[in-house]
Amino acid sequence: MTKEKTAVLLFREDPKEELRPEEVAELRGLAEAAGYRVLAEVSQRRGRDRRFQLGRGKIAEAASYEPEKLIFNEPLSPGQIFNINKEFLLQPMDRFNLILEIFASRASTREAILQVELARLSYEAPFVKTMESLKKLSERPGYRGSGRYDVSMYRDITGRMAKIRAELRGVEETGERRRKRRKEQGFDLVALAGYTNAGKSTLFNRLAQEAVAAIDQPFTTLSPTTRAVAAGERRFLLTDTVGFIDDLPLFLIKAFRSTLAEIVEADLVLLVVDLSDPPKLLRERVASCHEALWDCGCYAPIISVLNKVDRIDPEVALERSDLIRDLAPNPVFISAREGHGIEVLFDMIAEKLPPQEEFVIRLPSSEAGMGQLSRLYEVAEPIKVKYGEEIEVLLRGRREIVAKALKGAGRTLMDPEPPAEG
Amino acid sequence: MDVVAVDISGRHAEGDRYIMVSASVESRISPEGIERARGMRLVPLVARSVDMEVVIGLIEESVSGLSGVVIAERGDLYNLARWRVESILGREFKYPESRGERRAMELAHHASFAGRRLALRLMDEGLDFGAGSEAAGGI
Repeated sequence: MTKEKTAVLLFREDPKEELRPEEVAELRGLAEAAGYRVLAEVSQRRGRDRRFQLGRGKIAEAASYEPEKLIFNEPLSPGQIFNINKEFLLQPMDRFNLILEIFASRASTREAILQVELARLSYEAPFVKTMESLKKLSERPGYRGSGRYDVSMYRDITGRMAKIRAELRGVEETGERRRKRRKEQGFDLVALAGYTNAGKSTLFNRLAQEAVAAIDQPFTTLSPTTRAVAAGERRFLLTDTVGFIDDLPLFLIKAFRSTLAEIVEADLVLLVVDLSDPPKLLRERVASCHEALWDCGCYAPIISVLNKVDRIDPEVALERSDLIRDLAPNPVFISAREGHGIEVLFDMIAEKLPPQEEFVIRLPSSEAGMGQLSRLYEVAEPIKVKYGEEIEVLLRGRREIVAKALKGAGRTLMDPEPPAEG
Repeated sequence: MDVVAVDISGRHAEGDRYIMVSASVESRISPEGIERARGMRLVPLVARSVDMEVVIGLIEESVSGLSGVVIAERGDLYNLARWRVESILGREFKYPESRGERRAMELAHHASFAGRRLALRLMDEGLDFGAGSEAAGGI
């Protein structure tokens, strides 16, 4: 039987700003998602302590519960980790480290495992450097016993990071090629984005009639999953992605670049919002999603999917959508769990996807012409084909994709001719 | 939503003075981006310091005559709380949140950066911005 992991949560309240219950709930949720049983929550209103983050007495109070880990809401400096560990003989960790631990436990694909390892190493490298210099205060080089010098551990880390980056570049290139091929084949790409635990995977399952894991906990999804979905006559590829979180550190965004590329290269983004969040938190979370989208360079149009309306009154839902009006373009109220509003969402997706046009194309009635016709079949939807001295095709598709398929064929695109009477 | 995005370029000392240009871009934005840029104002200032009084004076001058909610980066206003900036400016103010607001800020940033380069070139050619800057706390 595996030993149960226990932790005490520690919060530092800013003297000018009260600690919000949502902040406490978020850290508790993250700790539970990482498999910790929370023994207690300890908070203190004070400025940052240089040595321990909180006062020595408060940490001693937390240590008295005899937890395995002390989880701090505030970021810890390498020196603070060293001091707490030395003084209280307990492992301290901060919010970012906790997120990394969750990621590490959920990573299932090779890509996700590498991304998590890279993020962890990027986070730990400066800590190791500081630890080494702190240890060197009382020891000489070679303290690792086998005659290795103090710089070797840091060098090991940076060397491993370089190897992972190189391997991830290969994975990224594969992903890029895949997305490029999908675009060339005329698929519209739609990505789900949103704060962690907003219900993206539940909506994905609802839209794609799939069964990916959708659990009421943060960071259920780490690797993107893509499925083909139809909205009326439009078919598109829907991708479920990793959720955002407030103050997402830059190294984490960089490590998950290949996953976030699914959002960056999408034709349309469904920004999933948990409308049952309290008003202030709701606004902050939508704003942090905008920040994350901006940081990863996503400029695609957005549909704001206001989810979990089944949990609140309709009047409250309207009030809250009004509160985030300047942050939520094209809002659609839905309940992914109950299936409310899905039809409206499909209509909105069909409306906001890049427009499809009808074209009449004439191709030579030859082997080369047949080859071009075959290429057109792959990227657009043929409506009518007439074989004669020339092959005349009426088809529907995206202008730039049809143009690309005909590139080099010496043929120009034509707007549709009016359909023949009868 | 109508906004006036304001950005100051040149908040670093050049010898014993600061050569700054504030750019304000009046635009109509959606949460996703800029719908229409309506106007722009560039105000140069040569000052001895970049304390709050000088920065606020420059922003006030820069946004005058342009309508909309003033938006600026947190760093430009020393991370002051929104309500304090509103009280000092006497206008509706917010820090950028949506993608559209960030895009407007980006536009203002490019304008102020280019404006400052132009100002430096003109100063090299002998133009003096100092005289007109007195009122805003400048030299």
